[in-house]
Amino acid sequence: MISQQLNDLITRIGPDTAAGAVHRKYWQPAALTDELPDAVAGEPPMLPVNLLGERLVLIRDAAGALSLATREAAADEPPAHHPARADIKLVAGGPTYPVVEKNGICFAYLGGGDAPAFPNFDCFRAPESHVFAFKGLWQCNWLQALEIGIDPGHASFLHRFLQDEDPSDGYGKQFRDKAANTDMPITQVLREYPRPEIKVEETDFGLKITALRHMDGDLTHVRVTNQIFPSAICIPMSREMIITQWHVPIDDENCYWYTMFTSFQNPVDKAVMRAQRLKEHSLPTYAPLKNRANNYHYDPAEQKSLTYTGMGLDINVHDQWAVEGMGPIQDRTREHLGRGDAAIIRYRRMLRKAIKELETGQAERLPMQDRQATSQLVGPLSNDAITGSEDWLAASLAADQERRSAAPWDAHI
Amino acid sequence: MTHSPQPVTITSSWVRIASVEALQGERPVIPVTAFGQALVLFRDEEGELGLIGRYCPHRGADLCYGRHENNGLRCPFHGWHFDRSGQCTEQPAEPEDSKMYKMIRLPSFTVVERDGAIYAQDAGALPAAT
Ligand code: FES
Ligand SMILES: [Fe+2]
Repeated sequence: MISQQLNDLITRIGPDTAAGAVHRKYWQPAALTDELPDAVAGEPPMLPVNLLGERLVLIRDAAGALSLATREAAADEPPAHHPARADIKLVAGGPTYPVVEKNGICFAYLGGGDAPAFPNFDCFRAPESHVFAFKGLWQCNWLQALEIGIDPGHASFLHRFLQDEDPSDGYGKQFRDKAANTDMPITQVLREYPRPEIKVEETDFGLKITALRHMDGDLTHVRVTNQIFPSAICIPMSREMIITQWHVPIDDENCYWYTMFTSFQNPVDKAVMRAQRLKEHSLPTYAPLKNRANNYHYDPAEQKSLTYTGMGLDINVHDQWAVEGMGPIQDRTREHLGRGDAAIIRYRRMLRKAIKELETGQAERLPMQDRQATSQLVGPLSNDAITGSEDWLAASLAADQERRSAAPWDAHI
Repeated sequence: MTHSPQPVTITSSWVRIASVEALQGERPVIPVTAFGQALVLFRDEEGELGLIGRYCPHRGADLCYGRHENNGLRCPFHGWHFDRSGQCTEQPAEPEDSKMYKMIRLPSFTVVERDGAIYAQDAGALPAAT
């Protein structure tokens, strides 16, 4: 439980807020490259962008360079508003921000002064052929969206399948693969071992979160996920792919998830992955078709027999329901965190520390602000391993090394 | 907490919150707003009614979508289970030796059925809001 005052401090991200200032010290996903329209009749392409409480436009100039400019907006505009090209009016002399495109996502820096370096994470250094990017709208504050991503226990419940699918049907989906070097689908491991032991370590980029599931036969399932400061996570998806996902504030009560799916093996089948996701979203806002207004297609009969939520097999919908159901900003004055929430507690401490450092003029102390060191950050390790040895750490590193050394691009760490 | 053993006269301190019919479907769980709070009304496997806080005291998930099982409601997010008095009875993601669940209780209200309607009373003797 925290005070209302502290909840406000760590959730609100508008231009003059303390947590907003922290977000502004980092490159933020502003749009998918896929979203940028073609130039029309010599006019430069413009795309409305709603980011960190600001109403902006992404522009590609004649030379191909990207930037964000401020646009005029009515006070009652919907949060993910997408005006037509003809209705976009730039604010003369309004703030503009630098933009860099990386493997399908246009990242913007709203912080003023020198922008930080990009870390050399797998999603950025893999070739374009091995990364697929997508996004989706969640109608809630960014922090509850992030917190579900650093909560390794929830997958044993929220995403529980009462029956397992055939893992070979699972291309491009989360939790459908077999657990590393066994015949057990991950869904079965999660279901049968719901009380993970959770270890959290601070790193140069955020947090390394290790969930240990001690299984029968002296086996241990080791799942390593990461928090990348301030609003991203990096988690395994299948043996072939990892997910790097940002929870980017639109305003205080809405956010986008932006995901880069990165393959260590084959080029990503982008047509399949895009089609899987376009089927579940409506453009141009990328609002999910299953949502609060239609009860997420909740089916009590399915909840009894097939899934834990009764909301279908797409785990994104489960997460969306969980975080949107808390209300626009989770009321943390009523929460009761347990031992399973260790990473959430640790993350909030990091965020409060960053807020304090910015307020006392020590911006350089925030994670990943040193250009030289940040450009050399690789990884992070995110994978599933099962081991019979007590040295689960070595087993986790070895499983990761195996996949990295076989990768067709330079994935060494 | 629900059926009073004594005959109850519905007076003005009772608030009509639903018709009995509203709980007659396959899954007798519905959202209710009363006493200025978001609540969930359900019938458990003993046939008794519970009227408890709607948002899970763990991290706030919406119990109206809870799993109707084990004579209560189970939150789909991390499996915390609540009985009709609002008492948490299980925290299946917490370590085996954790007794934290004993300390967790949602607000709850006395409920009666009369003439096809369900009434609730703000009993004054409420458990501390969590
Ligand atoms: S939010 Fe209900 S069990 Fe976690
Ligand atoms: Fe999830």
